Amino acid sequence: MTQTGIPIGVVGKTTVLTDASKNFLLAIIASSDDAIISKDLNGIISTWNEGARRVFGYEPEEIIGQPILRLIPEDLHHEEDDILANIRAGKRIDHFETTRVRKNGERFPISVTISPIRDESGTIIGASKIARDISDRRRADENRFRLAAIVDSADDAIIGKDLNGIITSWNAGAQRLFGYQGEEIIGQSILRLIPENLRHEEAEILRKIRAGEKIEHYETTRVSKSGDLREVSITISPIRNIGGEVVGASKIARDISDRKKVERLAIEAEKIATTGRMAAAIAHEINNPLASVLNLIFLVRQGGLSKEDTQSYLATAESELERVSHIARQTLGYYRDTGAPSEVHLRDLMDNVLSVYKSKLLSHKIVVDAKYNDLREIKVHAGEIVQVFSNVVSNAIDAMPHEGRLTISIAPLGKAEDGGGLQIAVTDSGIGIRREDLGRVFEPFFTTKGNLGTGIGLWVARQLVERHGGRISLSSSTRPDDSGTNVTVYLPFSSQSKLTQANGSDSGTEAR
Amino acid sequence: MEFFGGTSCLAERYPRYPPGLHISESGSEDASGARPRILVVDDERLLADTTAAILRRAGFNAKTAYEGFGALEVTASFRPNYLLTDIMMPGMNGVDLAVAIKKMYPGTKILLFSGQAGITDILEGSKAEGFEFPLLAKPVHPSKLLEGLRSLQND
Repeated sequence: MTQTGIPIGVVGKTTVLTDASKNFLLAIIASSDDAIISKDLNGIISTWNEGARRVFGYEPEEIIGQPILRLIPEDLHHEEDDILANIRAGKRIDHFETTRVRKNGERFPISVTISPIRDESGTIIGASKIARDISDRRRADENRFRLAAIVDSADDAIIGKDLNGIITSWNAGAQRLFGYQGEEIIGQSILRLIPENLRHEEAEILRKIRAGEKIEHYETTRVSKSGDLREVSITISPIRNIGGEVVGASKIARDISDRKKVERLAIEAEKIATTGRMAAAIAHEINNPLASVLNLIFLVRQGGLSKEDTQSYLATAESELERVSHIARQTLGYYRDTGAPSEVHLRDLMDNVLSVYKSKLLSHKIVVDAKYNDLREIKVHAGEIVQVFSNVVSNAIDAMPHEGRLTISIAPLGKAEDGGGLQIAVTDSGIGIRREDLGRVFEPFFTTKGNLGTGIGLWVARQLVERHGGRISLSSSTRPDDSGTNVTVYLPFSSQSKLTQANGSDSGTEAR
Repeated sequence: MEFFGGTSCLAERYPRYPPGLHISESGSEDASGARPRILVVDDERLLADTTAAILRRAGFNAKTAYEGFGALEVTASFRPNYLLTDIMMPGMNGVDLAVAIKKMYPGTKILLFSGQAGITDILEGSKAEGFEFPLLAKPVHPSKLLEGLRSLQND
């Protein structure tokens, strides 16, 4: 701003300013962040402030006297004709958003206000132009629009809520998943989406959010406007203000009903396949003794046998039938345990089992070391748990044909808040299970005992434990001098929660 | 499918072959040349032995084997006219045994018997090789078994 004495038009009237006023205005112009430029009616630049230099990149001496078109991209040169026409007509142009070009060729968004400049007689002699670089604002706007578009087009429900659980935002995905329009649900409590029996979850969620914690991929059930239950996976993150304070939460809910359905079908298919395999194997186990019985009876009926032989044939037939009924009990019998669960001490059940195997333990020279610390009773199907213990203990005995030590412990495990449970560990000093067989020990009809095993003991044990919401795992070592197998069973005091969705992956095996 | 191997049983508590039981082999020594020779193969010993006893009474010269490879050995010396074999056995299965014997001694008449489903794959395999054998389902009544053998005789 080297030129002085610029006449300034103020609201139509023309006033000649005092020197002091001029200097004051010049100082304002010089210090403005905005570009302030004046031009004559031919579009030739006549003044150029510091802001203009910063925004456009030209020094005053290289641009003053040049046409304003230097600042306008070629494809927008027509704008200048309109602007000049307006100015000549005495009109002002307010906050006109357009594009200009910097000295380095970069195009950028700009907001310009252009006013006519009049001389002392009121004749329009040029224009002043105040231009603001709005690149940053544009970028922020674009980001905001893009985010809004993403939120809106997301398949997932994206919901905002405050720290009292009041819904503050609601996207199209939320509308699709839950059926509510934004206007009917915003301002309502998030509890509208939570089934009554799960409302306790919200208190825990808000507690975590207030503490600034995130909740990720939490699988639960929510309820839609029509009352249908939706299986969802939700991720909830705290929303903070500029000061870092948590002011609310954003919640992303994904409908996983389809995935859950597929999972259930897969489990069903697996159960059916297992049942089929079992049926085939049971058929084999049962048909052979039945065939022998038919043969034995046929031979006896044909006559011609000594009395002794007849007795012997019939006794054999009888024991074959015993075998059939034993297999039926082992494979099919436990399904019948539909009696109500009862409160028992696990130590009593374990002692029952040990007394059944007492003579076998003695003949195998096995020392039993049992430590019971189950002060509390636990509610179980006693018959089923006896079968679990029996299968595990008889495996341990089979693993120690000559001598050994059977270590049994029963002790509480887990935190009081989730109910806790009892852990039963049965460890033998037997031959151990080979690493390559470990992965299969819970499979039906897999046995490492050759003709001695039915191959269903651990498989049945696992079904029964999982029906109680518990877990069974096995580790084993075949290292000489340190071989043995440990089976650990965990039974929760309260089994309701997971009874229906016992998860196979909870039960596992590992080599020691 | 290891658990189809037929190796699982409860032999310890319910032995398949009570030590006291003796299934008569009378008739196997005398005038064997005149009577049709039959080899009974089953890993279930009691079933193999009682079946052989019934066949002897019905006029056959019967021998038993309890697994496939043993059966091949017996076949070499015994040269049976008939092979009656279980399918699911440890080691060589009954269908492979039947195919092997049919290749070596094409005149041997063969009858399979099996106590379970799940053998379809094995049978398909032999069919693809051009061998098809009649199959009886266990448990089979002895009179049905004899009927089946008689119908083979008339083939």
